[in-house]
Amino acid sequence: MSASQSAVRSRAEAVKVSRTFDWMILFTLFFVVLGGYHIHYMLTGGDWDFWTDWKDRRLWVTVAPIVSITFPAAVQACLWYRYRLPFGAVVCVLGLLLGEWVNRYLNFWGWTYFPVNFCFPSNLMPGAIVLDGIMLLGGSMTLTAVVGGLAWGLLFYPGNWPVIAPLHVPVEYNGMMMTLADLQGYNYVRTGTPEYIRMVEKGTLRTFGKDVAPVSAFFSGFVSIIIYFLWHFFGRWFASTDFISSENL
Amino acid sequence: MAATTESVKADAAEAPLLNKKNMFAGAALYIVFYAWVRWYEGIYGWSAGLDSFAPEFETYWMNFLYIEMVAEIVTASVLWGYIWKSRDRKVMSITPREELRRHFTHWIWLCMYGIAIYYGASYFTEQDGTWHQTIVRDTDFTPSHIIEFYLAYPIYIITGVSALLYAKTRLPAYQQGLPLMYLVAVIGPFMILPNVGLNEWGHTFWFMEELFVAPLHYGFVFFGWAALGVMGVVNIEVQSLSKLLKKDLA
Repeated sequence: MSASQSAVRSRAEAVKVSRTFDWMILFTLFFVVLGGYHIHYMLTGGDWDFWTDWKDRRLWVTVAPIVSITFPAAVQACLWYRYRLPFGAVVCVLGLLLGEWVNRYLNFWGWTYFPVNFCFPSNLMPGAIVLDGIMLLGGSMTLTAVVGGLAWGLLFYPGNWPVIAPLHVPVEYNGMMMTLADLQGYNYVRTGTPEYIRMVEKGTLRTFGKDVAPVSAFFSGFVSIIIYFLWHFFGRWFASTDFISSENL
Repeated sequence: MAATTESVKADAAEAPLLNKKNMFAGAALYIVFYAWVRWYEGIYGWSAGLDSFAPEFETYWMNFLYIEMVAEIVTASVLWGYIWKSRDRKVMSITPREELRRHFTHWIWLCMYGIAIYYGASYFTEQDGTWHQTIVRDTDFTPSHIIEFYLAYPIYIITGVSALLYAKTRLPAYQQGLPLMYLVAVIGPFMILPNVGLNEWGHTFWFMEELFVAPLHYGFVFFGWAALGVMGVVNIEVQSLSKLLKKDLA
């Protein structure tokens, strides 16, 4: 190929073009992953994420990490193994949190007037940083799945504790004992999820009292390990560059 | 000397590699339009959208639905028709610089797809959740559905298919067949729209409440996963761009 057939006129232009593509790729990846991750998360763990009176010590702690480790595992499988970029999980979680916060503020509050301290999203950032950190330091999918996946489940409740703790304070209301979060739920009636649908602390586990959250977190971490493995391989498939030839159509 | 002057003149007259004006105008189009839609929801959701049997519901919401459906069919036909009709029939013989320019244009389309997917799958889908907590479901065509299912979803479908068509008709990298992950990234989210049929059927005959994690919604989840196909598209593009730029970046 002669110089006149080069796509760029100079090395400086080549560098500029390359950087510009980097930003356009990152922008697209961020928003498309945001869309896919958000629709996945809101429809597999959303009700626990929407309302404080669903954010209990058992099911929220169990469900949210299991369903949310999916996209971070898949995006890590592409960004780390192809480009050695150690921020797949953080990109996913930043996208998800941006989508959620914009919506909770502009729509949950701005359209239907649920106060933001009743419908703020869960915080997944500590687990994402640890997941990417382990991938960066270990460079191993197996290590990230086992240690990172377990950490993802275990860190979820402590990572949210500073925000949710004030709302788990017990109160007495009309002779009944409940949490402040429960009281928010009674005051903000929701036609789509009436009380008989709310899934919080059902079963016998809570009879053991204070151990509910750690046991749930540990179980969640265990399942997160399995889900990480599964979604890592989904991610590799989604990152493939295969073409279907015309004869096969 | 004369030849150099001519070359400089030619460069100055040449179209830029990245048409930033088109990119920002495209982004502004989506953002301003959806800001207007959100304003419309805010005003007419409460004043005319609570009772589907009321005459004002027909005026402000059902007419909105009819107009948007016609507009979407016309837009898709014209846009896809234009991209196909104006395709390059000698795509394998374009210069490397022209190929680079087309990759930039292709990425403008993909950036627009990112914006469109954000509004469809994130903003208006979760917004639907809060609307269902506020009104009693008395129709499949509640205001949030008229925006989410029948406006925001078709818009990202139109945008995604346009991006795919652009790549297929103008870029040499896509002439070896149909890119599997591009199809997944575009057709998967497209399938969310037909899945509305299952959703509305289920809610109409079986499940009035709006439990978001109900299995009835898992179809949306499954097709939402297909958005990850964008990683395959990124990888195809990076391979192509590396071929174009590698020599100059070395």
